[in-house]
Amino acid sequence: MAGHLSADDFFTQLASLIEKTQHKGHGSVHLTQKRLTFDANAAPAAPQKVADDPLWDLQPPNPLPLIVRATDGKSQSKDRVKNKDKVKLSTIVQPDDVEAFFGRYAEVCKAGMQSLKKRDRSKRKKDKGKKKKGPGGA
Amino acid sequence: MVYLDTIEEWHRQSALLLQARPTTARITTKYKIPNLATPKYQKPRKRKREDGAEEKDAAAPKVPKAWLVLKTYDPASGVVLKFKTDRQADVGRLITGLGRLGRHMAALPAKAEAPIDTIMDDATTTMEASAGPAAKQSAPAETKQQQQTAGGGGGGGKKKKKGKK
Repeated sequence: MAGHLSADDFFTQLASLIEKTQHKGHGSVHLTQKRLTFDANAAPAAPQKVADDPLWDLQPPNPLPLIVRATDGKSQSKDRVKNKDKVKLSTIVQPDDVEAFFGRYAEVCKAGMQSLKKRDRSKRKKDKGKKKKGPGGA
Repeated sequence: MVYLDTIEEWHRQSALLLQARPTTARITTKYKIPNLATPKYQKPRKRKREDGAEEKDAAAPKVPKAWLVLKTYDPASGVVLKFKTDRQADVGRLITGLGRLGRHMAALPAKAEAPIDTIMDDATTTMEASAGPAAKQSAPAETKQQQQTAGGGGGGGKKKKKGKK
């Protein structure tokens, strides 16, 4: 697996991954987030698990980064062949960037996931007996 | 493998889980568009054919309807909390929720905007203040089991109760 991507690259590739799945008409995209506790570049103070205390990780001294992963690993092609060239993306989110990251994350997901049920406004309009009041009405 | 009924409930339970197991718990979001060509989606049609009905009427809808499943899983205790939706309108809310939960994961202080967060803070402090190591060791696992089996309902574990008192 290639190294972690920068946030920008991650979002670009995630968008194209979702787009690809959307275009294909079926398949799934898996997104995972968890705390990053392993540092490839020689972790200076990787939290050590304390055997006696199951709550050892509740109060780390410093905020820890998150790792966010995306893959289409279990998708199949139309003829149900196992996905050979699956896409795996990952990025590391520093604690300071969490908010900005999830803001953009939401944008990308909202834009990409188009097969979900849309909010149906047409019925309500009919009930009220009103004509078109613009698609983005409320 | 219980599906919780509401986003709020899923978020609350996940936050509690992350408080207890910030290092091992993970959140997975699955966006799935089903492949209607697979046997799984062919079965109902076949049955109807055998009944003597017309061939194409019962065909699956042309446009597959996607869904989104959120899953919080902690391998250490085996807890699984899931929430499923097929509404586009939920996406934004869900990701905002992921962001809030992400703060727990990163060990950042929770923002004081939601009442959920304050409850959880109480839970943590009480939890840490009380109970010796021996009690601690068994308690989390039990709690998780309860949460898992109780599902959406009153799926409260010991921790939650402590928090309320």
